[in-house]
Amino acid sequence: MQELRDLAKKLFQEKRVDAILGYEIDRRGGVRPAFATQIEDCDRLVFDHRCVHNLASYVSPRRTHVADLGRLGIVVKACDARAIAGLIRENQIKREDIVLIGMRCGGVVRDPAISEPLDPANVAQRCIGCEQREPTLYDHLVGAPKPAPAGERRRNARLSEIESMSPEERLALWKELLGRCTRCHACRQVCPMCFCERCVADKTRPAWIETSPHMRGNFAWHLTRALHLAGRCVDCGECERACPAQIPLGLLNRKAANIVAARYGYTVTDDPAKPAPIGAYRLDDEQEFIA
Amino acid sequence: MNKRRMLNEKNLDAFVQDLINAGTRVISPIRRKEQGRETATYAAVQNPEEILLAGPQPALPLKDVVFPPTETLFNWKQVKSSIRIKENPEGFKKTVVIGARPCDAAAMEIVDRVMGWDYRDELWFGRRQATTVLAVACSQCDDACFCTAVGLSPTNARGADCFLTPGEGGFEVETLTSKGEELLESHHGRFTQAKDPAKTQPAELENKVRANLSLQPEKIQQWLERHFDDPLWKQLALRCHGCGACAFICPTCHCFDIVDEPEGIDCGRRRRNWDACQPALFTMHGSGHNPRKDQTARFRQRIMHKFNIYPARFGEILCTGCGRCVRVCAAGMDLVSILGEISYMAEEAGSTS
Repeated sequence: MQELRDLAKKLFQEKRVDAILGYEIDRRGGVRPAFATQIEDCDRLVFDHRCVHNLASYVSPRRTHVADLGRLGIVVKACDARAIAGLIRENQIKREDIVLIGMRCGGVVRDPAISEPLDPANVAQRCIGCEQREPTLYDHLVGAPKPAPAGERRRNARLSEIESMSPEERLALWKELLGRCTRCHACRQVCPMCFCERCVADKTRPAWIETSPHMRGNFAWHLTRALHLAGRCVDCGECERACPAQIPLGLLNRKAANIVAARYGYTVTDDPAKPAPIGAYRLDDEQEFIA
Repeated sequence: MNKRRMLNEKNLDAFVQDLINAGTRVISPIRRKEQGRETATYAAVQNPEEILLAGPQPALPLKDVVFPPTETLFNWKQVKSSIRIKENPEGFKKTVVIGARPCDAAAMEIVDRVMGWDYRDELWFGRRQATTVLAVACSQCDDACFCTAVGLSPTNARGADCFLTPGEGGFEVETLTSKGEELLESHHGRFTQAKDPAKTQPAELENKVRANLSLQPEKIQQWLERHFDDPLWKQLALRCHGCGACAFICPTCHCFDIVDEPEGIDCGRRRRNWDACQPALFTMHGSGHNPRKDQTARFRQRIMHKFNIYPARFGEILCTGCGRCVRVCAAGMDLVSILGEISYMAEEAGSTS
């Protein structure tokens, strides 16, 4: 913790940042995003297994009030760095405009209000089987190496269960899950990769996606979002965590990621130079579906 | 009225079954398991045994019973050169809510003010009329609850037709409206005469809630009235993602959008859907101009509407302190600490003026 605070202060002293996005303790004893705008704020910064939030969501250019803070330093775990790389890859931010404070990470809990130590029962699903203990995209790397988190449930276990269902059973399941959606769009707002200036769900002339939270509207919205995130979703789990209806949206994104990996040999990475299938064209891309 | 009745556990199940058999929709907190934890959610009861009256606060509020996330205002069909309209095709289903939390029951009465203000919202009042609310005293609270700071309490019966207080072997039932009396009277066989005088509720729970936050609402309102441009707004809004989760899980937020949806070449529906003031689209004009240009303006609106605009117009705070917005926020926006901060500044401003 002290290492992080000292580094943050140094960045302010050397005038390399105007603000640092990190984490701080909140009133309830959990952790929340912190905006350190002066050197005195740096002593509030913390980093531990409760630092669930993907702070890359705050640096997308549509957050004008964050951009107004000036040059940003951002505390990133490996999964968050994948989102930063995505924003650079897709020309939303410039690498040289941000200072990345990479954190060595041993996994996080599923809810930042959980105060108990990390254990197999409270670890975030995405951390089980995550092989990246630290980002490769960073300016500074902080913390001691940490072991991988233990967990009982395999990352793709639920997905495999659903894949083994009959189409009728699957449809019934998704009708129940997506039927809960009231279209608050928290999934989109917290997503670091949902940075469109104008989302297709907000377009009204014509209304490509009905805004009503009925089956038609909800299926259209969630499937469109999953397709738009195929090969882009960094699996940070923020959409699931933000969903007030507790819809396991990550299942859709993970399914799409598996298809992209199988067909294009691409897994989302924190190397911004590696092109993603959705934004790249190759002569040998599969195209049998066009015929 | 105000006959004191008892409803024991067995009779509660039978009462619910009677209602279901008579075709009434019964909404209650239902036991649910989410990631190994026991939670509750308001839902239509299929089996009386699922009901969880003494459990945690349901994660989502009761408002969709009287204000569905989407509803049809009318169907339209073109017939030659004219349009045929069928209003309120869904009608109002007779509903009994058993186990509404005080914060959810009170919310409906608070929102009645705006729904019956310059235009009487017949869909809202139609459902209100068709719904009888049996609220129950809370038996749990957490660090997000703050009902006592906005004039309510874990035992407040506001907005309820009947109020259940847990006692030995069941609930003591207090009747507050003629609608409540009518319902209980038509099922009188399920209720017994209460023997002992009403027990005073232990103040323990109320004190716990009070420890989270205490306020003088009129001071908050005064401060808000004078601090539209305070730097606080920008500082708070930095963290906000601008999603609608806080509004959608709020028992008192009631904003909506109206859309026309075609359902064929010559027919369609006009619908009313929940909307929220936090996403940019809410105030976007057709010209592209947005009077609430950034999250600072939008977040300020949320606080202003609840604690200044609504109180000024209707004499009511548009918040029942249920704490759901605190629990749901992915960014850790915490209304309890925000109100605490405003309260502190209001005190400071008061002592220096």
